[in-house]
Amino acid sequence: MKPMENIYLPNFARIKDIRIETYDTKTFEVEFINPEVKANFRFKPGQFLEVSVPGVGEAPFGLASNPNRPESFCFTVRAVGSVTNALHKLKVGDTIGVRGPFGNGFPFEEIKGKNVLFVGGGIGLPPLRSLIEPMLDNRSAFGDFQILYGARTPADLVYKDRLKEWEKMSEIRFMMTVDVGDAGWTGNVGVVTTLFPKANIIVENTVSFVCGPPIMIRFVILELLSLGFAPENIISTLERYMKCGVGKCGHCAIGHKYICFDGPVFSYKEMMKLPEKVV
Amino acid sequence: MDSYILAKKDLLTWAEVIKKNYNLFIPSRINDELFFSPFDSSLDLGLLGGNATLPYLPPKDFVFPQSEVLFSFSLQNGTQKLEVPEIGKPETVILGIRPCDTKGISWLDKFYQENFKDFYYTRRRENLFLVTVACNQPGKNCFCICCEGGPFLEPEKDEFDLQLIDLDGENYLVEVKSEKGKTLTGLGGAIFSLADIKAQEIRAQLEAKSRQSFYSEPTSYMSYAIRKITENSVPPEVWTELGERCFDDGGCTFVCPCCSCFGVGYLMDEKGKGYHYRFWDSCDYSGFTREVSGHNPRADKGERFKRRFYHKLSYQYVKRDGRIGCVGCGRCITACPGGVGMPAVVERIRTIKAQRNFYSGNK
Repeated sequence: MKPMENIYLPNFARIKDIRIETYDTKTFEVEFINPEVKANFRFKPGQFLEVSVPGVGEAPFGLASNPNRPESFCFTVRAVGSVTNALHKLKVGDTIGVRGPFGNGFPFEEIKGKNVLFVGGGIGLPPLRSLIEPMLDNRSAFGDFQILYGARTPADLVYKDRLKEWEKMSEIRFMMTVDVGDAGWTGNVGVVTTLFPKANIIVENTVSFVCGPPIMIRFVILELLSLGFAPENIISTLERYMKCGVGKCGHCAIGHKYICFDGPVFSYKEMMKLPEKVV
Repeated sequence: MDSYILAKKDLLTWAEVIKKNYNLFIPSRINDELFFSPFDSSLDLGLLGGNATLPYLPPKDFVFPQSEVLFSFSLQNGTQKLEVPEIGKPETVILGIRPCDTKGISWLDKFYQENFKDFYYTRRRENLFLVTVACNQPGKNCFCICCEGGPFLEPEKDEFDLQLIDLDGENYLVEVKSEKGKTLTGLGGAIFSLADIKAQEIRAQLEAKSRQSFYSEPTSYMSYAIRKITENSVPPEVWTELGERCFDDGGCTFVCPCCSCFGVGYLMDEKGKGYHYRFWDSCDYSGFTREVSGHNPRADKGERFKRRFYHKLSYQYVKRDGRIGCVGCGRCITACPGGVGMPAVVERIRTIKAQRNFYSGNK
């Protein structure tokens, strides 16, 4: 008899690379140690992992790398609590526990042929990147391709090398901003919505993806609605403290939906149907 | 379905045989309170009669312990190893569980085994045998009749192993619903004799009488509250008012046979072995949804209170499982220091309507 599967058990993964993004944020590139687990691992853009540091605890992180290259994968971590601080102390070669991927993920096939608009704030960019990169692999399948990214200060921008590449790419329209500039900053200053009047946003046939802190999501959605986006074409992610990742612990439940299981990706149309104010 | 007669004088013999083969638990009195306790021959079997006798805590910890190690990490020869604790000889029989608690476990069965089988729940549940005793006389806080939780299990639709019905103070009618039930009656051998039609008639009379014996105080207009909550028409100030009476103590959730939420904790022992364990958690607690950034989507007490009752009476029922998350055991009435257990909340929702009709009547 096949033993019962135990979904709460992590698989061990090795840290392959650590990139310092900002003064408090690092990106971890990891691969599973067990060759079979590594070979079978697949994920969708927008899904998340439960990552554990032995002896410290477990926390959810959005997958931030290209699902077309699942042999190793990335997540970006800001050091704020016990697990994230413990992760920041780890070195390349160290072992962590990984469960997942969990959650529904972003639509991909369904939006081929449409224009896409990404609006990211701070470390809301990492989950969007898991969608941006596979779309760029398949660039001709999508129409206009626009990315707007904002952070608090130039020091808070993540993926700085990749942002420079995006700025130079002719096949996408990329703009960024910071709330507060510094001596070296020559770009736009202001919250991400201050980019909107300058961005020539196409509304017709466009699906928008919004990810960032709750307050930013709220104002971006209002702005998108006033531009004429239909609620079903505004897609965002809801954040709740997800303990189990599989719809059992109850912490992330909103109405009859479990963010970890039915989400974390919801359209604004779906969010409006939830019985609690979520944005 | 097979049904038998078991003479009460043979109950002890049967219990002793069961104990030879299983871990056997029965309700027993410790000081003034009842608990499911390991059986020994000196315990009073009188609590297994027709009067509803509910232990203070539901039996959910048999399948979902208050805290349970999920696994441990340890460094062995330089590599991390995972270990899932074994649970020893696990086959357990509860003799004297009441219909509401049996239905509570059925509710947990559905929740913990839908989409995927929860490993920790399932390994305990598969080895748990339930001998339910029907309630001929409900207790003062019982309202199972409003929640399809009792007072008798219905062999046609309810899941159970065995149901004992106290026919006359001398004999039980024993209804066998499952293979597990057959195994247990098999252990008793000749002390079980086939039941006749007369016993069925007495059963029907007892059930009808029990249904008329509920106290009016706890019995509640559940269907009305379910409808008001489902259509989201309970005014927010009512949740604020009810929330103000909530002590955030989590008592109602811990004594609830259907409450299933858990937290996950982590600790490390002095040898560097790290443990992940889960424990009963409560949506009453402000920390339940608090995130490390300090952001708390349900910081307001009224919102948390609303969440609990929406979950019990609407979300899970209407949208997921087709059953409300309440079996009418009445334990939340005992546990709640603020007097806002399930029946009080249902009654408060009902009187919203009464007030509105009063003020907007035929004037």
